[in-house]
Amino acid sequence: MKLDTSTDPQVGFRPPGPLEAGTALARYDGPFTRRHAAHLLRRAGFGGLPEQIDALQRLGAMGAVDAMLHPTGDDAVFADYPDSALLFDPKTRNATAQNWWLDRMLRTRRPLVEKMTLFWHGHFATSIRKVPANLMAGQIDLFRSQSLGNFRTLLLGVSKDPAMLVWLDNRANNKAHPNENYAREVMELFALGLGNYSEDDVKNAARAFTGWTLDKTQNFVYKEALHDDGPKSFLGHTGNFGGEDIVDIIVAQPVHQRFICRKLLEFFVYSDPEPELIEGVARTYALSGYDLAQTVGTVLRSNVFFSTRAYRALPKSPIEFTIGLLRFMNVAAVPSDTIGWLARMGQEPLAPPSVKGWDGGPTWINTATLLARFNYVNRIVKAAPPRPQADTTMAASSMAPPAMTSTAMPAPNLGTFPAFTPDDVVRQAGGLDAERVLAAIVGDAVQDDVTSDVRRTLMEYLQSAGASVPTPFGPENYQEKIRGALALTLNLPSNQLN
Amino acid sequence: MATRRVFISQTLGIAVLGGSMPSFLAAAADAQPLPALGSSVDPRNVLLVIQMGGGNDGLNTIVPYSDDAYHRVRPAIGIAETSVLRIDDRIGLNPVMAPLDDLFKDGRVAIVQGVGYPNPNRSHFEATQIWETASPENPVSYGWLGRYLDRTVAASAGPPDPSALFTGVTLGDTVPTAMIAQRVDVPAIGALNTFGYNGGKDPASKTTAGTLYDGARPGQSPYLSLIETTARNAMRGGDLLKSKIAAYQSAITYPADPFSSQLRLAAQIIGSNVGTRIVFVSIGSFDTHAGQRAQQDRLLGYLASGLHAFYADLQAHGLQDNVLAMTFSEFGRRVAQNASNGTDHGTAMPLFIVGGKVKGGVYGEQPSLTDLDNGDLKYSIDFRSVYETVLERWLGRDSTGILAGNFDTVPFV
Repeated sequence: MKLDTSTDPQVGFRPPGPLEAGTALARYDGPFTRRHAAHLLRRAGFGGLPEQIDALQRLGAMGAVDAMLHPTGDDAVFADYPDSALLFDPKTRNATAQNWWLDRMLRTRRPLVEKMTLFWHGHFATSIRKVPANLMAGQIDLFRSQSLGNFRTLLLGVSKDPAMLVWLDNRANNKAHPNENYAREVMELFALGLGNYSEDDVKNAARAFTGWTLDKTQNFVYKEALHDDGPKSFLGHTGNFGGEDIVDIIVAQPVHQRFICRKLLEFFVYSDPEPELIEGVARTYALSGYDLAQTVGTVLRSNVFFSTRAYRALPKSPIEFTIGLLRFMNVAAVPSDTIGWLARMGQEPLAPPSVKGWDGGPTWINTATLLARFNYVNRIVKAAPPRPQADTTMAASSMAPPAMTSTAMPAPNLGTFPAFTPDDVVRQAGGLDAERVLAAIVGDAVQDDVTSDVRRTLMEYLQSAGASVPTPFGPENYQEKIRGALALTLNLPSNQLN
Repeated sequence: MATRRVFISQTLGIAVLGGSMPSFLAAAADAQPLPALGSSVDPRNVLLVIQMGGGNDGLNTIVPYSDDAYHRVRPAIGIAETSVLRIDDRIGLNPVMAPLDDLFKDGRVAIVQGVGYPNPNRSHFEATQIWETASPENPVSYGWLGRYLDRTVAASAGPPDPSALFTGVTLGDTVPTAMIAQRVDVPAIGALNTFGYNGGKDPASKTTAGTLYDGARPGQSPYLSLIETTARNAMRGGDLLKSKIAAYQSAITYPADPFSSQLRLAAQIIGSNVGTRIVFVSIGSFDTHAGQRAQQDRLLGYLASGLHAFYADLQAHGLQDNVLAMTFSEFGRRVAQNASNGTDHGTAMPLFIVGGKVKGGVYGEQPSLTDLDNGDLKYSIDFRSVYETVLERWLGRDSTGILAGNFDTVPFV
């Protein structure tokens, strides 16, 4: 039983340099700089404002990880479900569900919870192209409820999830006509990987899941009359198995433990992680009884997570890029055209290309997806931030900012800080001095991760005549030039990397 | 391309080279562009590959209407003999494909029956990988079209040449495995109006952006080279394509569905002389586990009417003899319907080949509905035979280093 990574496009994108395997997963006790804090906020969240990075840094490395893992901030400002009239209208339902979730990613005070919710969406990839939007919203709620919970609970929940029962057709899986779709994918894509089960295992697992279906109200129901209760052989075990037994047998497979921990490492640390690293995390996962907070916590507190090999070693996914930009720009609500931009970047939320999800890694980067990223940055940074729409968004009912608690994650930007303006940059720079303005931009946007050549190029742009006001950088054109320089900075390779 | 080439060989390359790289890829690794086979092949020929994603049900595409077994196992989703568009006294087209039937009657369509491969895989992902890499036995990192591109685009040192950027083009937001090459950056173009850097009213912003990816770079991410090279191509290629396409005019009206829009853009790109040899488009989802008829009929209708408009567009520009369109899908579907009036993942299926130079007709045999392999259709033509045919007889390129082994060609072109 071994992991088949031959079809993982991230193989080959492991950072250079050796892994110090003996100490890689030990608690990090090195310096916790602003760049470390920004790294943590990007990986375990969606990035944020400079003030939020500063607040995280003040907690220290372990305190900051704890604040991400165990947020005390209240997220009750969010509606459990999108507005139901919009959610059931064929014209609006998909965008309603998609924007409902993006809005939460933008404004949540529990960014790691939402980040893990996104992880599970990519893992149990289900699409609104086949599944009704209301069921998709319910599935996202399920992912959120177990995002840092327990994988066995999650997998069992997914097996009974109405969206999944529709997506992989288990609702039509019955004793007389077994449907193997879910049984196959639960092993191939969700828990074991190719090569770790046989076609007979697929057939027997399908029989075990017979009768797991939907009632007329689209809720899960177990119909005993449709269930095949005969004996089954599955992964070396024999018994009159039902779906719960299949889940139990799957999670107990060592190859499952490596499968899921490898994927977490590729999400949080770097591509193509070393087998020793996977083994180490898998040990925590197994010992904890598949506890996700403990497993993810081990990763986030580790030396390897804070190592230079992991720093900006992963390409941002389009959703990470987009939400990170909106958070950094202090935009109060997700602009409604963002869904279309995300599709062009290659990651429309709730619409993965297949049950395998997004391939990620190098497949995020092609000419068209990069142009979409560049042009989205230009559209957001150069435009005045949109005002929340009082009549159409849920943000409207929750405009009052929640109070910031002492150990909580930095509060969401909404109402707490003003939306980005070039005047903020000037104020931070202490005046209209081009050198100091550029230092503020490059420091805040990419934590100074630029070469001196690029810095020089940006300075030449900043000081050159503006398009609308053709004078050197100064009071007449600083608004345009600062937005322009900020857009260029946010389009640098550093900001494509997480 | 130099940066990307070095980068790939240092990263992806090691993964493949250090592992169990099949010998045919080892041969490709020292690629010298091969000479064209013979003067009979027009060097301007273009291959349009159409992916029918999700697994298209062949039996409701080319319907064996005279076979009682067909109607017996598909009581709810079978297509009645009275409604098929007859090809001969045994098979006929799904009636929603009337526009393609017109082209078929004109001799512009070849139907290749029973296409598959040994030990068929029924996983969407893996079967797609098999079709797109043309390597059923051994997972590999590059696609069969990518390997063609690697051996066609001359590897040149120095800065990337935007004029070579459009040799292979994907229409869509992501590059499929089939088009992933070792040396060649294959652009994915979702729509023409978004394929370019939009600096707004600030031209200096665009000028500056065009230089930002040329400098030395900080950090050691294995993704940096990929991002920089791709960004440079994106900055320069978008402008080039737009300026070329501006000269292409067409009076043909395409249907309004997204697939037809892709075909219109394909015709524009092919007709704009930007050196394009391969265009990849896709239509989906054909994964009809439930309620098959409505979904598959809608999609087959898009396919047929889109190809009809595309062919008319090519004719209007005198390009019909230089473009060959070819469909594929990761698998066909089970012979019998399931309990949800759908079909589950199966095996062999028919392919369509469309073009002015195509020798129209039916190639290969309709698979038996009673002599089955584990309940599934037996294939009679290996899909790599179809690939070999288009590589050698249409693109004029020896398949050595692109396909593992030799496959009989099918005389549809």
